[in-house]
Amino acid sequence: MNDGPLIVQSDKTLLLEIDHERAQDCRKAIAPFAELERSPEHVHTYRLTPLGLWNARAAGHDAEQVVDTLLEYSRYSVPHALLVDVAETMARYGRLRLERHPVHGLVLSANDRPVLEEVLRAAKVKPMLGVRVDEESVAVHPSERGNLKQALLKLGWPAEDFAGYVDGEAHPIALDERDWELRTYQREAAESFWHGGSGVVVLPCGAGKTLVGAAAMAHAQATTLILVTNTVAARQWKDELVRRTSLTADEIGEYSGSSKEIRPVTIATYQVMTTRRKGAYTHLELFDARDWGLVVYDEVHLLPAPIFRMTADLQARRRIGLTATLIREDGREGDVFSLIGPKRYDAPWKDIEAQGWIAPADCVEVRVTLPEAERFVYATAEPDERYRLASCTGVKNDVVDRLVRRHADEPTLVIGQYIDQLDEIAERLDAPVIKGETPVKERERLYNAFRAGEVRLLVVSKVANFSVDLPSAAVAIQVSGSFGSRQEEAQRLGRLLRPKADGVSARFYAVVARDTVDADFAQNRQRFLAEQGYGYRILDAEDITAEL
Amino acid sequence: MAADSPRTLADQLRGWSDADLAHLLEARPDLATPAPQDSAQLASRTGTRASVLRAVDQLDVLQLVVVDATVALSDLGPSAARGGTVTLAQLQRHVNAAPEAIADAVGRLRALALLWGSDEALRALSVLAEVVGTSVSRLGPSAVELLATHGPDRVTSLAKDLGLVASGERRTDIEQVARHLADQANVQALVAEVDQQARRILEHLAEENAEGSVESTDRPVSRQDAVSPVDQLLTRGLLIARGRRHVAVAREVGLCLRGGRTTRTRVDEVPVLLTSAREESLVDRAAAGTAAAFVQRTELLLEHWGASPPSALRGGGLGVRELRAAAQLLQVSESEAALHVEVAAAAGLLAVGETDELDAAWLPTEAFDLWSAGTAVDRWVRLAQAWLDLPRLTGLIGGRDESRKPVNALAPGLERSWLPETRRMALAELAQLPRGEVLAAGTGVASLVDRLKWHRPRRPVERSRAVGWVLEEAAAIGVMALGGLARHGQALLAEDGSHQAPAALEPLLPAPVDHVLLQADLTAVAPGPLERDLAHHLATMADIESRGGATVYRFTTASVRRAFDAGWSAAEIHAFVASSSRTPVPQPLTYLVDDVARRFGTLRVGAVSSFLRSDDEAALAELAHDPKATSLRLRRIAPTVVVSDAPVDVLLQRLRELGTAPVVEAPDGTVRLARKTSSRAPGPRRGGKPPEADAARRAARTAATVTAIRAGDRAAAIRPGRGAGTAPGSPAAVLAVLREAADAKESVWIGYVDNAGATVERVVDPVHVHAGRLTAYDHRADDVRLFAVHRISSVRPVRHAPDR
Repeated sequence: MNDGPLIVQSDKTLLLEIDHERAQDCRKAIAPFAELERSPEHVHTYRLTPLGLWNARAAGHDAEQVVDTLLEYSRYSVPHALLVDVAETMARYGRLRLERHPVHGLVLSANDRPVLEEVLRAAKVKPMLGVRVDEESVAVHPSERGNLKQALLKLGWPAEDFAGYVDGEAHPIALDERDWELRTYQREAAESFWHGGSGVVVLPCGAGKTLVGAAAMAHAQATTLILVTNTVAARQWKDELVRRTSLTADEIGEYSGSSKEIRPVTIATYQVMTTRRKGAYTHLELFDARDWGLVVYDEVHLLPAPIFRMTADLQARRRIGLTATLIREDGREGDVFSLIGPKRYDAPWKDIEAQGWIAPADCVEVRVTLPEAERFVYATAEPDERYRLASCTGVKNDVVDRLVRRHADEPTLVIGQYIDQLDEIAERLDAPVIKGETPVKERERLYNAFRAGEVRLLVVSKVANFSVDLPSAAVAIQVSGSFGSRQEEAQRLGRLLRPKADGVSARFYAVVARDTVDADFAQNRQRFLAEQGYGYRILDAEDITAEL
Repeated sequence: MAADSPRTLADQLRGWSDADLAHLLEARPDLATPAPQDSAQLASRTGTRASVLRAVDQLDVLQLVVVDATVALSDLGPSAARGGTVTLAQLQRHVNAAPEAIADAVGRLRALALLWGSDEALRALSVLAEVVGTSVSRLGPSAVELLATHGPDRVTSLAKDLGLVASGERRTDIEQVARHLADQANVQALVAEVDQQARRILEHLAEENAEGSVESTDRPVSRQDAVSPVDQLLTRGLLIARGRRHVAVAREVGLCLRGGRTTRTRVDEVPVLLTSAREESLVDRAAAGTAAAFVQRTELLLEHWGASPPSALRGGGLGVRELRAAAQLLQVSESEAALHVEVAAAAGLLAVGETDELDAAWLPTEAFDLWSAGTAVDRWVRLAQAWLDLPRLTGLIGGRDESRKPVNALAPGLERSWLPETRRMALAELAQLPRGEVLAAGTGVASLVDRLKWHRPRRPVERSRAVGWVLEEAAAIGVMALGGLARHGQALLAEDGSHQAPAALEPLLPAPVDHVLLQADLTAVAPGPLERDLAHHLATMADIESRGGATVYRFTTASVRRAFDAGWSAAEIHAFVASSSRTPVPQPLTYLVDDVARRFGTLRVGAVSSFLRSDDEAALAELAHDPKATSLRLRRIAPTVVVSDAPVDVLLQRLRELGTAPVVEAPDGTVRLARKTSSRAPGPRRGGKPPEADAARRAARTAATVTAIRAGDRAAAIRPGRGAGTAPGSPAAVLAVLREAADAKESVWIGYVDNAGATVERVVDPVHVHAGRLTAYDHRADDVRLFAVHRISSVRPVRHAPDR
């Protein structure tokens, strides 16, 4: 037994006691191969998954290193079976390689023949392969490069892609660091991406992923296609690129529902790429419109399935994915791994926060009690109505009033799911509301006003959730949310996590109706936030005025 | 050993020191039971086939080849002349091994009393010729033996063909031929004469000791006109006819062909283990981690089975489905789950018992409670020792047996008497590796199998597979890891393993901790094995999410409610949680407990037979307190509801008697009007059988009843009165009386305990008594019946045999 901070469990979770003096070293040592699952206050939980171990292999770590790290930091003896499993899993990566062949073009080769024979016999893989070149390699149809990688991952034999990239059409791009500087972790992230070829950079919301993208472009020095979630995000990317790089507004095109510009740097939305007419994607030609040297995927965890399919055909181009989390609600983490690339950089939120880049958030759950009459309605309501009833109770409005008053001089967001409720609250508070039907122009105007401090209070619906920078929000009040999805929590918290000028900690209030499904969902949220390491308090609505 | 050879084995044994004798009896324990009376008896016992078989099974390849050579050489030339004795020098010349190694092997065989005599005149026990013979070297019979079936003419012609001067005397000629063939130079010359094809046939037959079959051996051929390969060989004595259609290579020729050795390959080279380097502390720690996990899983499984026992198969095993469920519970493979189950049963922690429903099921034993109270180290040692001596081949579980039936865990039929020895030998080999060296991945296991095969060549084929399993099991149980034997595994092998192993394992296992770390995500992490009580309480109020060195508990609404159900109060939970945590209790946990407490018991459930409902609260209050209504046991559970234990019809009637006017409420809340319905009975069933059959059956039944009554009467009439002498009670006396009666053809009165346990009286005429059963004519049944003698409680002769 040695006095390490790590406890290795037989179910392949790693428990890291963070108050331990060697916890920091240990965290750095295990981060490359273990995925952080939960980071509550005392003990962080990491998990060893095949994808995580393969990510580590892709980053150049070998099984021996992983085993040594586990043994070095582990407080107790590590079960033998787990060590064997780690070694076996890691050994599966890279047995197969995708390479360039002078005659046959793209080939799949293996130094381990039985593995090659095994995958050759898989029904899914067979049609993607061409002639057998020699005992250890087989030709691959160039168009199947992505699909093959996906299929091989599913078989448990992920292939390493050494087939290289096209350089793309050169275009000079440089960072313009006159009045700002790339943060250390942003630089590291961009560099490890570049050395890895393609892959995903995982950084929390507000940690400046856009700048990592810009830095990657500066490395590539080539025409770039940027795929983002929506139009507002596209505009923000454009503004940021103009401000932080040598690119001018003319060099950056927007490819969205309203305008279809193709420029050396083109920003397109997922939505326009996935529009179909008569069953065919109408904008596929964008991918071939230029000889792109780099493709940037913003918010990889939201990447829609059709884009995956298109990405499968883009395997010869460098790809960088940016995201706050590798966890996908649809469980397609494996596709991200095989099509965009392995994880190239990761930093836990708390660490970046501790470095002072992100203001710490204070999460408070405010519990309201449904009035007797509403309880009755709730109790007899149809199950699918219940959530709406509990979420939209009038009692919440009063609580929102009080909370808003208490934070009267701080920029505040009220977030909700139900438009009626939001309209009602907006009317009571006399605040502008942003919802699905709000025109983009109006949205932008309001956001800008909010950012400039002209508007102190905004009521926003779900549409504001994704990829919008609201840099100065200090308080967010959530009145209803969509069924406690993990992603949404990450996004909402992201609204508040952007660095604040004065270092004041942000507040996140969730107003919840007690003893209803609303409270059940709140429990999920509580768990998620606590797992992310945020302080979480519960308050009764009646105590609000007393506290502060 | 004395230079002059003992005359008999018994003589030799008499000459042995006590230490030598003791060593023999230890090495061949079957000789010692029952204790032999003298050396002569011991000597004769050493030569019995069964005992020799056992002893031979313990020999290694070299020793076996020496035995083989002793047997093979004893019939040849000079040895045969010396009365079948062999000299050590002869063995050293013919066995393909270093002379010292051969001398050692001879010493060991002599100590085992398989060989006896001095180095100048060694003899093998005669039964060895039969048990071992030349099965190892695969040498054929001697030329003398082969030629013994040949007529004088054939012997003469062979002698002539070999260029010898035939004497015409068959016996002399045979010896001449045999001597000629025993000379290596002669054989080489003869082999050089035959063609390629013949040489190949010869080599094949010599190597395999196979009998070649030919169309006919029975034709006089001479060396000159031998054309076919077989004829070439036959005329040169390289092959000798054996019967009419078979040919064989004489032992002398075989020896020559192998360069004078009984085997072509060296037999004193023990295969070496293939190893690689591995830091020993790593091995120890990895094994200890596995050991701790093994103990934990065993406990988890048995606790689970204590609560929901898996049923035992009729044959005594555990069903495939149950095993699969266990594997899922333990998150291990099915074969590992099978190992858990088998080891637990071997350690006496699991046995077949009866559930509350009286079904046969696998249940943790009482020993399990004691075991689980022990320290992790002690618990592991118990399991590991049980495994070490486990004679069951658990690797077969999950496969199918020869009759294609699935092999179940815990089912009989997996016992292999050699398994514990194999296991210990395999582990002992590993223990002999220098520290820091472990079996090489991949090739290591195969090399171990080869080495064990050299040490015990006569073990069944199954054993090679078993060695692989043994290593897998040892890794699963934590005796070894990463291909090396851990320190505590080594200690376990020692004679006082149960004392040494704990000391070796102790420092490697985590010490119990007395606290947990509570976190805001409602988990509690125990950073090590918890003290028993603490673990037990925590498991009541929180679900276990992850096991291993540490345990992760999660508090959920359901788990906290479980604690309330188990009788905890909110205050107690708060206090327990606060006292067992080193860190402040997170607010969400406090809220969770309070939330559950608030809702706990807000709904109450009870059982009643009927209820009374009225909007008139006063009337209900009056009724509830009416002394005349006490028999209805009315309880008021709400201002407008009174419940009763009486059924509805009783309640209704009693209430009417009390002067109220109740109506009955239907389940949907409407009033059900009581209207008198007139009753109908179901009509009698018309039978389909003819009345005659019924009559016949009735008559038969009556007759039987009558017989029974008559018999009962007789029994009563002749029942010995109290005090009129006691009936014989002892089994011997009972038997005596019964036999006597059978001989005399007399009736006896017996008291008999029937299947229901009641004593009944019968008067019977015994026919005979055999195998604990009495066959007798039973007057009551009017038939011959069998009675178990042990159930006959008393017997008394009836002197006046009643009429039948």
